[in-house]
Amino acid sequence: MKKLVVVFWLMFTGILLAADGDVLQPVANPQPILQNLQQEMSSLKSVYLDFTQERQLKLFSAPLRSEGVMLINEPDQIRWETTAPFQSILLASHKSVAQFEQNDGKWEKLKLGFPQMLRRVMDQMVLMNQGKLDALTGDFTITVATNHNLAVMTLVPKDENIRAILSSLEVRMPPDFSATREVVMHEPGGDLTRIVFTRERRNVVFPAATFDQTKPLEIAVVRAAVGDAP
Amino acid sequence: MHRNFFILLLVGFLAGCATNELPPTVNLPPSPQPFPVDALVTQRAVLTVRGRQFTMNGYVARSATGGLRLIMTENFGGVLADVLVKPDGRVFVLQVKPPFRKAWVERFVAADLKCVFAGATEADCPVRVLSPTHFVIKRRQYELDLRTVEVKPGVQPPEMFEEPQGGKP
Repeated sequence: MKKLVVVFWLMFTGILLAADGDVLQPVANPQPILQNLQQEMSSLKSVYLDFTQERQLKLFSAPLRSEGVMLINEPDQIRWETTAPFQSILLASHKSVAQFEQNDGKWEKLKLGFPQMLRRVMDQMVLMNQGKLDALTGDFTITVATNHNLAVMTLVPKDENIRAILSSLEVRMPPDFSATREVVMHEPGGDLTRIVFTRERRNVVFPAATFDQTKPLEIAVVRAAVGDAP
Repeated sequence: MHRNFFILLLVGFLAGCATNELPPTVNLPPSPQPFPVDALVTQRAVLTVRGRQFTMNGYVARSATGGLRLIMTENFGGVLADVLVKPDGRVFVLQVKPPFRKAWVERFVAADLKCVFAGATEADCPVRVLSPTHFVIKRRQYELDLRTVEVKPGVQPPEMFEEPQGGKP
């Protein structure tokens, strides 16, 4: 479960994938970069992101793909929605969490097992989005490498038990840390999960009920409201 | 810490199931097979244990020779179980992670896999086919709601169906 916390932390770090023609050079002291990143994130009031998740298992010749959106709104609201190949919504605030699955065209609210655990994970995701990166250095050894077009932050878990599940995380961003675009999670056996963020809207005003844990607004309506209709 | 907590809770749920028996299920005739003989099938599952629900994804590779390979993942992609079913019905649990246990995967996951994808070979198949893409498996310990969300026809790599070295299920 720590893995999930980490993954979500990294999804909020405001990063953009750029073409990397040059060789990446390690940065001797990543602290100024991390502080810069933290400063960038602290001014973020809300964010809308489309994502594509690719699960690359050595066993399968092609990656297993899913798509969705992630929305975050101050002070503590988050919505993680998978839109393909199935439909599922996770909603959380500091106090509660809810999950919906689509059942024959209708949304069905689940009676979640372990809601407190999920709420805690998502709560930490929001905190990270608010720029509280300090916790990362306690849990990870962080290195940064850059070239003219790209900066890659690599996080290696300090906990041996976590490393047994997750070898490292790579966060790819432009040199100015302006937007999140790609996170890669490497596993010990060589499998990996790549989350690519394709569209981003910052400091948007979400319609009412976007984060409603009883009847969340349809994502198409949210998309239209934030100017991101496909 | 979180993972351990999750494991403890799920173990608690399942242990409780053993003593709180639900009404017996009815074995239905084998379901029609809506899947191509060679295919990769993606399914979304909602597992209900003692009234609490958990979501998972299943990726099932199927071969014309009757082999089945299931990769089961949690919501965010982490592998929970990797199971191979040989054409002769032998089961190999190639990977299992908490909160699942090898014994559960052998007993329940492999059985459910056979029910849905090779129904004719299983004696105990408490599966209801609600539509060609929607199955419900109800056992004493749990209920599994399965929806097929994607089918990619095509021959899967043969190594997916090879039993591990040593050959012991």
